[in-house]
Amino acid sequence: MAELTYRDAVAAGIAQEMERDQNVVFLGEDVAHAGGVFKATVGLIERFGPLRVRDCPISEQAIIGAAMGAAMTGLRPIAEIMFSDFFAVCWDMIANEIAKARYMTNGQMAMPLVIRTANGGGSRFGAQHSQSVENWAMMIPGLKVVAPAFPADVKGLLAAAVRDPDPVIFFEQKSLYSLKGEVPDGEYVDELGKAKVLRHGKDCTIVALAAMVHRALEAAEVLEREHGISCTVVDVRSLVPLDTQTILSEVAKTGRLVTVEENPRLCGWGAEIASIVADECFWELDGPIIRITTPHVPLPSADLLEDHTMPSAERIVRELRAKLD
Amino acid sequence: MPQLGETVAEGVVTRWYKQVGDKVAADEMLFDVETDKVSTEIPAPVSGVLTEILVPEGATAKVGVRLAVISEGKGEAGSIKPAAAAPAAAASTVSAERAAVSAARGVDSVEGVRLSPAVRRLFAEHQLTPVDVRGSGRDGRITRDDVIAFVAARGVSVPRATTAPVGDVRQKLNAVRKRTADHMLQTWRNVPHVIQAVEVDYHRIEQARREHKLTYLPFIAYATAIALQRFPLLNASFEGEDLVVHGRVNIGIAVDLNFEGLLVPVVKDVPGKPLLQLAREMNDLAQRARARQLKPDEVKQGTYTLSNSGVYGTLFTGALINEPQVAILSTDSVRKKPVVIEGPDGDSIAVRPVGVLAQSFDHRAIDGAYSGAFLRELKTILETNDWTQALTA
Repeated sequence: MAELTYRDAVAAGIAQEMERDQNVVFLGEDVAHAGGVFKATVGLIERFGPLRVRDCPISEQAIIGAAMGAAMTGLRPIAEIMFSDFFAVCWDMIANEIAKARYMTNGQMAMPLVIRTANGGGSRFGAQHSQSVENWAMMIPGLKVVAPAFPADVKGLLAAAVRDPDPVIFFEQKSLYSLKGEVPDGEYVDELGKAKVLRHGKDCTIVALAAMVHRALEAAEVLEREHGISCTVVDVRSLVPLDTQTILSEVAKTGRLVTVEENPRLCGWGAEIASIVADECFWELDGPIIRITTPHVPLPSADLLEDHTMPSAERIVRELRAKLD
Repeated sequence: MPQLGETVAEGVVTRWYKQVGDKVAADEMLFDVETDKVSTEIPAPVSGVLTEILVPEGATAKVGVRLAVISEGKGEAGSIKPAAAAPAAAASTVSAERAAVSAARGVDSVEGVRLSPAVRRLFAEHQLTPVDVRGSGRDGRITRDDVIAFVAARGVSVPRATTAPVGDVRQKLNAVRKRTADHMLQTWRNVPHVIQAVEVDYHRIEQARREHKLTYLPFIAYATAIALQRFPLLNASFEGEDLVVHGRVNIGIAVDLNFEGLLVPVVKDVPGKPLLQLAREMNDLAQRARARQLKPDEVKQGTYTLSNSGVYGTLFTGALINEPQVAILSTDSVRKKPVVIEGPDGDSIAVRPVGVLAQSFDHRAIDGAYSGAFLRELKTILETNDWTQALTA
């Protein structure tokens, strides 16, 4: 085990896979010589050279188009979209081509590529550089969607994403890049579609993703210590495939589901989980499902407003105290 | 804690109807007590203000222990209310809401109580109603944990949340089950049982009972009481070496509690009761037994017992005697059968409702001839009495 930051874990994951498989290539804006604007890919150009680690122009369509072509012709590219907001610029290729190639060619063509992106708010980047858009990707059949909360998961899930035969959208929460954590040494591969239970409680089951996992854990600590409310916290880690087994069984144990979502409320990923739980776990529910989300607004850039808009540990505590019994 | 029967040493206070500070009137329901065999409401002995509750809900107390204090001073109820200033007004709104919720959960009406899916499912699995379980949630809501705790306290295991139990499940016996087990084992060891049965043609009863929508059981109880008066040694109890022959005929009716135990409420002084009144009393006792609302006196002083398995279509049941009584009668199913009728013009075959009555008797008390003669008498009464007239009495 070594203590790495979330950003170091990105580079470690990419390096591990590039080392293992010559077909793995990496491309994006400022990812090579600058080491990434979030410094998440430092050292890769030095280690693997300009043929396999490529700086691209500021054109999301060029990046995704190149990655798609590379994947179609036998490579396993990792493409970076610097801010997930700009998926909107290249969404046709992702949603209509990459996601559907295997299906429309009856399996003759695969798209073994990973699109990494810095997602989410909390860094004062304003409405166009702070969105939490994991739900955009979740709703497209043919895409896998991963969003790690811890450095170890970054490395392990990124490795699993690269090895997956189909397209995986890999959401890194940009406010977590400086988060430190223990990461296994040597080759480390995790499994897509496995949620993790981080804390066991008896009063409710909080299901969270990425940065919200940390806020849920903080809230659970306060609720237990100061208010005698004990919460299970589940880190979903992967929206597609979704570990419904873990989610349903953890909800069944406490009888209450709480989702903590950074995406805006309408059609957030938690709505889908709420729907699955209502469908398959209805008779275990001991009270209404609670969704705690960013409201349906563009994320403000002012510090206080951004903090107020995204779900905070304080807000989770407040809402659960008001709504649980 | 009142003495609720000579063999009962303690009871659990399951519900307080009043809170500290409430006014109570003498004979107004004050609390519920549950013992091994019964759950009963205890009225306030005096009027006054409930100033202290010493034994909270769910706690067990020995007989004679002080449970609460009622102050008889008149001004006290008044003096509490005026003290309530503005902040307390909010509190009283809350308690009013709770009272409304509690009222809605009263025996007569459970409409309007909001139950979560999990609670509904547990209620269905354990045959409970909102009346049974006290809510600890917001505004008195019954939570899943309330039900699980209630069932656990009752001693029946709760199925795990999502998965059906696989393999063996070890269960603790609940209080009623344990008590029944001890009693049955003692009876089985101590009493030499003999079983005798007669087949009874119920055709005379059939018409009478249909008009009044009655079951066969009150007719059988009515006839049994008459026959017992003619065969008093069966209306008796063993006390040590002695047989005590009872003057009163008090018939116990075994009532199944949804497969979770057995209660035997007793209809007192059956001879002389008009048949319809007897039917009503039996029905009332059975219903209250299932709702676990029998009063302690209502399960005592039985002198003979009826056990009815007929609803399940049984042909014949060899019942265990309800010790220290000396006999028990099992009434099994009545079904239509071809019966040979002997008449002055020879034999003919008729379709008649027929069922078996089986008596288990204690051979220490009587012999087979006595029991057989009793059964013949009982059969004759059931087959020949003018039941339509008995119903108009």
